[in-house]
Amino acid sequence: MKEQLLKIKEDALKELGGVKTLNELNELRVKYLGKAGELTLILRGMRDVAPEQRPIIGALVNEVRETLESAIKEQNDKLELEALNARLASERADITEPSKGSKRGALHPVTRVLDKLISSCVDMGFSVVQGPEVETDYYNFEAMNIPKNHPARDMQDSFYITENLLLRTHTSPMQARELEVRKPPFKIVVPGATYRNDSDSTHSPVFHQMEGLVVDEHVSMADLKIMLNELMKRLFGESTKTRFRPAFFPFTEPSIELDVTCPTCHGEGCRICKGTGWLELLGAGVVNPKVLEMSGVDSKKYKGFAFGIGIERLAMVLNGVPDLRTLFKNDIRFLNQMR
Amino acid sequence: MKVTYNWLKEFVDIDISAEELAKRLTNAGMEVEELVYQNEHLHHVVVGKILKIDRHPQADKLVVCQVDIGSEVTQIVTAATNVFEGALVPVSLAGADLCNGIKIEKSKLRGVDSFGMFCSGEELGIDDNYIEGASVNGILILPEDFVVGTAIDKALDLDDVIFDIGVTPNRSDCMSVIGIAREVCAVLGKTMKEIDLSYKANGDDVNNHVTVNVLTDNCHRYMAGYIRDVKIERSPMWVRRRLNAVGIKPINTLVDITNYVLVEMGQPLHAFDGALLVNNHIIVRQAEKGERLECLNHNEYSLDSEVMVIADEEKPVVIAGVIGGTNSCINENTFCCVLESAVFDLKSIRLTSKRYGVRTDSSARYEKGVNVASAEDGIKRALHLVDKMGCGTISKGLIDLKQKENETRRLEGSINEIDKILGITVEPKIMKRILDGLSIKTEIEGDKLICEVPPYREDIENNNDLAEEIIRFYGYDKYDELGLALFANASVTEGRELPRMSLENKMKNVLVDNGFYETLNFSLCPPDVCDKLLINDLRKEHVTITNPISEDISCLRTSMAHALLVDLETNLKVGNEDIRLFEIGRTYHPKELPVRHLPIEKNRLSFLVNEKGFDFFHMKGLVENLLLITSVEYKLVRSKENYLHPNISADIICGENTVGCFGKIHPQVAKNYDVDADTYYGELDMDYLSQYQEKGYCVKAVSKFPIVERDIAVVVDEDKTCEEILGAVKSACGNLCYSVNLFDIYRSATLGEGKKSMAIKIRLSSTDHTLKDDEVNGVINKVLKALQFRFGAVLR
Repeated sequence: MKEQLLKIKEDALKELGGVKTLNELNELRVKYLGKAGELTLILRGMRDVAPEQRPIIGALVNEVRETLESAIKEQNDKLELEALNARLASERADITEPSKGSKRGALHPVTRVLDKLISSCVDMGFSVVQGPEVETDYYNFEAMNIPKNHPARDMQDSFYITENLLLRTHTSPMQARELEVRKPPFKIVVPGATYRNDSDSTHSPVFHQMEGLVVDEHVSMADLKIMLNELMKRLFGESTKTRFRPAFFPFTEPSIELDVTCPTCHGEGCRICKGTGWLELLGAGVVNPKVLEMSGVDSKKYKGFAFGIGIERLAMVLNGVPDLRTLFKNDIRFLNQMR
Repeated sequence: MKVTYNWLKEFVDIDISAEELAKRLTNAGMEVEELVYQNEHLHHVVVGKILKIDRHPQADKLVVCQVDIGSEVTQIVTAATNVFEGALVPVSLAGADLCNGIKIEKSKLRGVDSFGMFCSGEELGIDDNYIEGASVNGILILPEDFVVGTAIDKALDLDDVIFDIGVTPNRSDCMSVIGIAREVCAVLGKTMKEIDLSYKANGDDVNNHVTVNVLTDNCHRYMAGYIRDVKIERSPMWVRRRLNAVGIKPINTLVDITNYVLVEMGQPLHAFDGALLVNNHIIVRQAEKGERLECLNHNEYSLDSEVMVIADEEKPVVIAGVIGGTNSCINENTFCCVLESAVFDLKSIRLTSKRYGVRTDSSARYEKGVNVASAEDGIKRALHLVDKMGCGTISKGLIDLKQKENETRRLEGSINEIDKILGITVEPKIMKRILDGLSIKTEIEGDKLICEVPPYREDIENNNDLAEEIIRFYGYDKYDELGLALFANASVTEGRELPRMSLENKMKNVLVDNGFYETLNFSLCPPDVCDKLLINDLRKEHVTITNPISEDISCLRTSMAHALLVDLETNLKVGNEDIRLFEIGRTYHPKELPVRHLPIEKNRLSFLVNEKGFDFFHMKGLVENLLLITSVEYKLVRSKENYLHPNISADIICGENTVGCFGKIHPQVAKNYDVDADTYYGELDMDYLSQYQEKGYCVKAVSKFPIVERDIAVVVDEDKTCEEILGAVKSACGNLCYSVNLFDIYRSATLGEGKKSMAIKIRLSSTDHTLKDDEVNGVINKVLKALQFRFGAVLR
């Protein structure tokens, strides 16, 4: 019996060496260790073994079984690994093939600039409001200290609806509308469409502005300078510098125009900034006390500052758009470059 | 406003370069938009003397010249015919870059070396107003006293620099050389030189010749002088050069003087031929209806009482301040002249100029406001020039009718207030120094600045104005050095987004993630846009622009569809495919016609898809996803929108309101826009939807018992809707219903015409027990009975 067992062990291990597949391995396992396997049959024959021999034979049976089981397991692991490797090797994607499903679109560059401006301003305590695009002469001009026949009306060619109604030429009329209803102190920004009777490569009859207005007992030109400097840094990056130049707007006094270091050449001088290193970006100033008074705000008590930013120009500068009109063409070949 | 460096130097000792001056003027608010050097294109051009002219060995039309250019004798080949031995000529040498774009290099002409080129006046950018003979066609022959070898800009005295300055509308006082000179003084801390207003009056009294009556309030001051023995001829070179430099064409002595004074002093003048004025009696009045005047631009204008004119006893002779008539203008036979220096009301001039569409240097100047004091300086300066140029005998005295005074004003400013406006502390004595430098004489009394504001500074009225004058010279760059904190003393405010814009942003992101490109369109449209879109309701009534650029953009849109369809057309035309576009914008709806009040402005989102394989149900899914962002409850009904396909479109209904629509574009509309009919469009009312942004959730516990799934297929008539069928299934399932979904619709001849088979997946679940087969079969039988009873559905 002992010899039988050793032979089974020897045969099984020998056969195991020739097993190539998991199926063969399973067959082998059944052949020796299964219900009707050779080893099982031996065990059945134990009752014929002399009692004093039983522990010895029993130990030998267990040893043979353990040896076979562990050898089979080892072979099994080896074959499974081989099978897995073979499968992985056979499954292969060409990762350069095109992707599937709908591709992402894009926001319009004007929207993106506006979003950035708005979120920066909200961070700084500004609330967002919007107003009508068809405006009265009063809000668009009179309340902004631009009386009838004032030369400053020349600065803005208007589209008229009636003698008294027009398409707003700037977002500034919302200054007056808000001054009338909002209790200071407050900070607001007004994004929106504006209109001027002008159309060429640098002027569009419809364009966008964002107005800012701060009214407070203690606010000054200094706050304006710091605030705009911060805003421009958020837009163009930390290293951006700004400078103020005196200017004229009827609704602010003193008035300034703001230049930023050219984001294209970082102030070195290039085609975009015409070699000056600076780009003129927006107008601003301390709110003219006449504007406060006209809208019922006590100019002795309150001061304010205001700014107006042309959005298309920013979008052009930030994205290197050469012609303003491209922004309104809505050609996908243009838009998909800004995904 | 154009002025020149040399002209400014007549009034200020300028000790810095033109470039530096331009920079400092810009920093002080006088923006120098352009700086033109007269000699920009004159480098490498010198005075040369032609020593010898030989025939060219190979060309009949060319000659070979030996030219002394001072440093050496050089050889130049030319085709010019007006050159001769001994002539002094401008010679451009290698490196020259002439104003007509010609760049000079050493070259060979038909085999002979030529080291430069002789120049004509035109090639040097000059004409007879710079040097005699410069307008002649041919090489400019220079006067004999020119020194050989001298650089041509030095020889011709072309060293001036022209400043083009953007003067802001509040600074009409700077619309003149002396106005800019005053700013230069302030910039440099210098005192202005005195303007020479002196002249010799050798004639008899002006009152012997001229009478003036002012019969209108629109003339604030009228001054007149009289000149006889007038010489109408070409002005001296220095006058012509100056006028040329600032872009005014020289004409003759008297006309040039009026223009010169306009530029220099900012005072418009008018010169009449005295012989053509009846009795030399000038009447300033409003015109009478029916009067007409032929003007110097050769147009005839009909006048009425809105228009101020200068008239004699019989007829109008000038549209006051705007343009002169041909019936009294200076001409070559003029021998006596009435010179007018007046101040007119700016509004009157503005209206007239606008009405006739005539804008002259004079009207442009008057429109900005001319100071009453300037009339006197202006006429005196003009008579000084008449005297200096010797072009007439000036009568003694001046007629002066003044209806308005203009005086130095006293203004009290507060140092503390100015500091508060600026947000920094400026030393009072620096404030005083700056204001004094601007001729605003200032004394400090405690917190007060007592200022004497000169009459020409009408723009200075309050502390803010004073603050501006101070800071523009104190320098905005000072702020950068102080390291101030933002809103250091201001109240804290909380920034809030606009709710509608927040919703728009969320929807925009969904659209972008779904492959849409955002577009930016004009909110303007052509008047016939509703015809193109088949719209036949109130939206046909547009808000219309009275002065549009073109008809294409003459109305405010009442629908968003036009813009995206045009965008689609544009994209298809250039060969783009798979187009998904959207826009956030407004539509504008008049409250009444004709429009009297502000129209209603509605915020909308529109979106459009033109893509192979995309159908109504893709669009429906998109709309559902967009609306899922909101908490709005809605139902879909067949759309009433005319530009959509009547049977493949839906309106989105919330209670009484239609808050959107979507569907396939109507084939006729597709044709009208030249796009293919397989285009889907949708629109949402953002004002309405933004009320439903806050979205709350109330969830039920998830059942721990398994879900049982059964599929059924039933055949029903084609007109039964999916909503009806699935609704019936759901209600038949009762509270065991987990989900009911349509997963296939099948149509075939075997089913029969007008029939469809709907495959429905029913999933059942209970919250308190595991479902048994009997129970499930019972529910399914109930479902089938209900479908058979209500819709005649047959199990397939």
